[in-house]
Amino acid sequence: MLCHVNNVAYFRYFEAIVVRFQMQEAGVDWLNDPISPQAVESVCRFHRPLSFPETVEAGLRVERIGNSSVTFALALFGEDGATPAATGHFVHVFVDGDTLKSQPIPEAKRKIFEKFS
Amino acid sequence: MSNQQPETRDQYPHFMTLQTRWMDNDIYGHINNVTYYSYFDTVVNSFLIDEGGFDPQGDKVIGVAVETMCSFKKSIAFPDPIDAGLRVGKLGRTSVRYEVGIFRGDETEASASGYFVHVFVDRATNQPVPIPRSFHAAFERILVTD
Repeated sequence: MLCHVNNVAYFRYFEAIVVRFQMQEAGVDWLNDPISPQAVESVCRFHRPLSFPETVEAGLRVERIGNSSVTFALALFGEDGATPAATGHFVHVFVDGDTLKSQPIPEAKRKIFEKFS
Repeated sequence: MSNQQPETRDQYPHFMTLQTRWMDNDIYGHINNVTYYSYFDTVVNSFLIDEGGFDPQGDKVIGVAVETMCSFKKSIAFPDPIDAGLRVGKLGRTSVRYEVGIFRGDETEASASGYFVHVFVDRATNQPVPIPRSFHAAFERILVTD
């Protein structure tokens, strides 16, 4: 209709890179880990429209490591190059799967986050 | 980060009831974070259409999202019904900041809240233009400033 990717979809792209990073780099097992990450906040700033069938590249770095939370800085790049079409962040807090209370970031995962900060 | 007090119903002058869908649940059995933004999109654009007379296909001036944020406080899950509360927190010359609260069932404290900034642009040139009069009048009706 408006010939651009809907704003909600940008968060789906953010989620895609964060979830893959958590699984492939930090070793998160969403169903079986006793302590696992949950989204507590996200933001997106839209700088210019992306449009299907453009290929989108997503970039991630660890912006802040707290006691129980990690903040990822994110950017989405379209096919036209170096400046991002959108930037934002995504905060995961580690919680106990049974009580849903926040828990310290498991040490092995903290080390991985430090590598990407 | 998200230590501020939860938003409450009395902070919103406009509401829209939405039904969560089976597909809104994710691997954790609760509404997926991205889906909240589709609730935001729904309440904002319904308001523009119903209260501001917006014609998404025909209007020369359209709202383009420039920034959105959501803070997630408590889980919601299908088949919970939700009320999306809407207010205008900031009304500029070419842009508006909507503030949205998502309430589960008849709860008074929001499960999630955030904002959505629209800048109004000429559909053909993509340049910012003053907020159309009919939208502006609708925004004034739900303008809440601290």
